[in-house]
Amino acid sequence: MEVNVTGPEEYGNKAYRTLFENVMNELGSSVSIEKAELYMDPVTPLFILSVVMRSRPESKKISDTASIRTEGNDVHITISDENYAHEIFSALERIYGRNSVDQQTRFDLKIENGDDDLIANTEIASEEDAKKEMIGAMWRVLPEGIKARHNISEGRIITIAATEEIVTDHIKSEAMRIHNGTKGDADV
Amino acid sequence: MYDGGIYRSNELLEMIEDVGGVVIQKTRSAQMFTVTMSIPGEDKDAMEKMCRSIGGTVRSVPLAGTEIAIIGPTLGRHHMPHPVCDIAEILRQSGAITVVMGLARGRGKATSQISVQEMDIINEYDAAVFVLGNFKTCVEAKKHLFEKIRVPVILVSGPMPDGLEECCEAIVPGVGRRSERMRSPEDRKKLEEISDKVDEVIRARKKMIEEDPLFVHPAEIKQLLEEYEPIKECLRPAPMVLHLDGLRLKISMKDNIKAISDMSVYGRRLGDIAEISESRINDSSMIVRIMTRSEINDRDADA
Repeated sequence: MEVNVTGPEEYGNKAYRTLFENVMNELGSSVSIEKAELYMDPVTPLFILSVVMRSRPESKKISDTASIRTEGNDVHITISDENYAHEIFSALERIYGRNSVDQQTRFDLKIENGDDDLIANTEIASEEDAKKEMIGAMWRVLPEGIKARHNISEGRIITIAATEEIVTDHIKSEAMRIHNGTKGDADV
Repeated sequence: MYDGGIYRSNELLEMIEDVGGVVIQKTRSAQMFTVTMSIPGEDKDAMEKMCRSIGGTVRSVPLAGTEIAIIGPTLGRHHMPHPVCDIAEILRQSGAITVVMGLARGRGKATSQISVQEMDIINEYDAAVFVLGNFKTCVEAKKHLFEKIRVPVILVSGPMPDGLEECCEAIVPGVGRRSERMRSPEDRKKLEEISDKVDEVIRARKKMIEEDPLFVHPAEIKQLLEEYEPIKECLRPAPMVLHLDGLRLKISMKDNIKAISDMSVYGRRLGDIAEISESRINDSSMIVRIMTRSEINDRDADA
């Protein structure tokens, strides 16, 4: 993860680089960030965070995160990406009810009288969810009192500009300038 | 402060009584037992020997007998728990009773505020440690949060702010907003620096009190109240907390004011030698501020 911080206060820039890295690590988002641009101006105040994600956020189905096979009337699911285990459980319990989802081991599930096509195509995370998660992580980095925010999202780039009072046209254009700068040659 | 097991701790408590000392705070957690005590200097060696013989350790805690508030701009995850709780922990290790407080609207450079009630609550403590953020301009813009606080203020911030020396007793830079615990050796050093600064400020306040001493030491009032039934029945962890100029009693003022005011201290009513008021936090605790000798003399002269 490449992080660039600019702004008039050296101490704040250094502290916010550490803060950004720590928050993203804590939330497990650092692996999905390729590059981040932080502009910190406490005098205005104006804070702009622009993040390039490694891949475009996509919706996930159960078949993307687990292998599915049918034996007789039962469908067996082996979770391959544990990050989505909770979502898989929730989706299956919603469809078949708690009593029909049998968790045999940490990663293996059995569904009695399940429909493998329905299970495979069940969406467990949408593109919007991934973006929301990233925006949530970025908000956590921004100072708490800087509440007036303007988001720009384009492909795998998300930019947030935050100020304390009114988001003016100047702030929006500044955010767009940094957003375009972050984009650079990136294939969005 | 004695730190050890519960085994034979009654011998320790008896010895404190025998040497004419006072138990400031007693905390029991399962088999662990800590006692913050105040004893005459000449009995220190004997006390250390005794504590060692029952398997405990004893160390000096300069902030014993104080209650200190550590204040963050809000209780939100941006400001809590780090580094506010790390600072509270190091002050507790030095013997202070600490309270962590978040302001209702302390966030923001131009929009931060502190209410009169919040100021009154902070003024109930012996000192207040304000923990602010990473930007110099923001820290300087937030001086209104603590400039009207009457008790000594220690400001902990990221960069060193300019022009705030008049508003607080001490400034410790190099902390600021953090999202992780202060565990590295540099961080531990910084925490010790904060603890030392608080100690300095408290010493200065003690010196000031000594110039016009209190009519009676708060520990003597504590001893007197130890046998008071509502205090004995109080289930809160520390029903009585010593302050430099009085104490906090964690019992309702409405139900107990008469009995407490009528208690006799050196031939006088407690209500005549102390100002007793309800805590601004809520009605379940009260503040006893002991008057100084000169205040009592003035009263006597007026009467």
